[in-house]
Amino acid sequence: MPTATSSKTLPPSSHAFADIIHRLEAGGSMLPDTPDNLKQIIGIYKAYAVPMDFYWRGLLYISERVFLNPLPAFKYFISDEYLDRPNAYAGDNADLRIWRGQADAHPELREFMAKGELKRKLPKWMHHLWHDRINMEFAEACMQAMFWHDDINPKFNAYLDSDAYKANADGAIRAYFKGNPAMLGLYKLFPDLFLEQVKRLSYYANLGLFWEVMAPVFFEMSDLYDEGKLTTVPEAMDFLVNGIFAIAGRPIYHHLYVGDECYEIIPKSEGFTWLYEAALPYVEAVFYRTSPFRGTKSYNAQAGQVPSEPKDFHYGILYADLFPVGSAGIPPTLLMQDMLHFLPDYLVEEYQQHTRGADDTLIQLGVTFQRSMYNVTSAVIQALRTALLYPLDDPNPQHLKANRDFFEQQLDRFQRPEARLKDIQQQTYR
Amino acid sequence: MANIVEIATNTEGFSTLVAAVQAAGLVEALATGGPFTVFAPHDDAFAALPPGTVQTLVDNPPQLARILKYHVVADKLFQADWSISQTLTSLEGSPIPIRAALEVKNASVIAADIEADNGVIHVIDRVLLMG
Repeated sequence: MPTATSSKTLPPSSHAFADIIHRLEAGGSMLPDTPDNLKQIIGIYKAYAVPMDFYWRGLLYISERVFLNPLPAFKYFISDEYLDRPNAYAGDNADLRIWRGQADAHPELREFMAKGELKRKLPKWMHHLWHDRINMEFAEACMQAMFWHDDINPKFNAYLDSDAYKANADGAIRAYFKGNPAMLGLYKLFPDLFLEQVKRLSYYANLGLFWEVMAPVFFEMSDLYDEGKLTTVPEAMDFLVNGIFAIAGRPIYHHLYVGDECYEIIPKSEGFTWLYEAALPYVEAVFYRTSPFRGTKSYNAQAGQVPSEPKDFHYGILYADLFPVGSAGIPPTLLMQDMLHFLPDYLVEEYQQHTRGADDTLIQLGVTFQRSMYNVTSAVIQALRTALLYPLDDPNPQHLKANRDFFEQQLDRFQRPEARLKDIQQQTYR
Repeated sequence: MANIVEIATNTEGFSTLVAAVQAAGLVEALATGGPFTVFAPHDDAFAALPPGTVQTLVDNPPQLARILKYHVVADKLFQADWSISQTLTSLEGSPIPIRAALEVKNASVIAADIEADNGVIHVIDRVLLMG
């Protein structure tokens, strides 16, 4: 980590979050560097990585295989081929092995899929109907947020509106419904309806390819912590920053498979990248914005309780009230339920020692998740600062001022009352 | 006079850039097209990127080409031709802001105005990234 010189060169910041800005300028995270915070965020990264290993496989399965199935009742029943599908960046035979860990589905995921919470081997459809399964609805809610906030991914969306995309989608739709005159007839009558669904599926692919990278990153962070090689919150953040750069150029694409035939709806040759077309839009759409969720709390848009502009939405995890509302959106109750199944023992013990113990573990792990996502957001902020601005130890005061302006601008977004930045500074927030 | 690719190939300190241009399939375009202004990152600039960054890009030529095109402007611009607060438009389509004298976005120009047959090269100390 570079030694920051900002505090020696610049006068102290007068921002409401001046302490946190000075911490960022010193190479730190928005999350305070305490052993408890480190334990919490690493534990939750591991618990998140297991369902995420299912989410990315499921998203790619739906975008590449289920596609426009008009009755997709089995879309969450991903095939063995997708459970065995080698992660492109982990495993012995990876195209480019950046992270250690195995290529196919994680053993804890396979065990949960077989036995569920019931701990009994039952047919897949019984686990499904009993809702004893991974909540793919969470992954779809994230995808939907990325799809709906259409101002944050301009190049990707421009391509979805291009003639080239329409032609590719047309070819894919015709191939998929070959020999199905009823669906081809409907397509002829309502071409835009089908095209809109394909665009949505392109976002399934986008998010699947994004999470394919994040799952092994989080597994490796957990392993490093267990081995005593990740010892501080800034080290955890720096691991994420390096990961963001290492994988920034990964292609984002959308392929459809009909049998063994591949139809390129978004070819890799379009040049879309993991950082620009997936990671940054994901953070904006999911961490910050999402949308008002359906649950126990109602919003009155006429009374101004919902911003008139989508860019001002603030329903992401960084703002979430973690009272569980049974929603796939944010606060992500379904994700919290998924993570509950894969908590490391040390987090289970920690939660039992605080507040209501096992009775409110979901809330406690939700708060932990919030802490961990403030750390991921810090990594994104530091990565953007590295990419677009200047080193923290830059000798030029003008450059340090530019860095400070950037940090202050980023933290301005947490001045609204719903933001949890102030809360996560305290260990008592659980 | 030599073209942009010949100058980069025959000058010390650009082996990574030349390899990247080859991997991205941009040699012919930069050798015969133009006029171009190329902001050429020195080898040290590529080396300063976190491990794996360059390798992932080299393995994916269309994505690498996009990053490299962000270093090219479709015009022959000497340093005297641009001014502070001006924004140049890269071949990739994204803007390149000029924030200070002898700087291009967040990179410093360490050697300016190297003229080629089909444009001009400015050597910079950082790899430029869109955004």
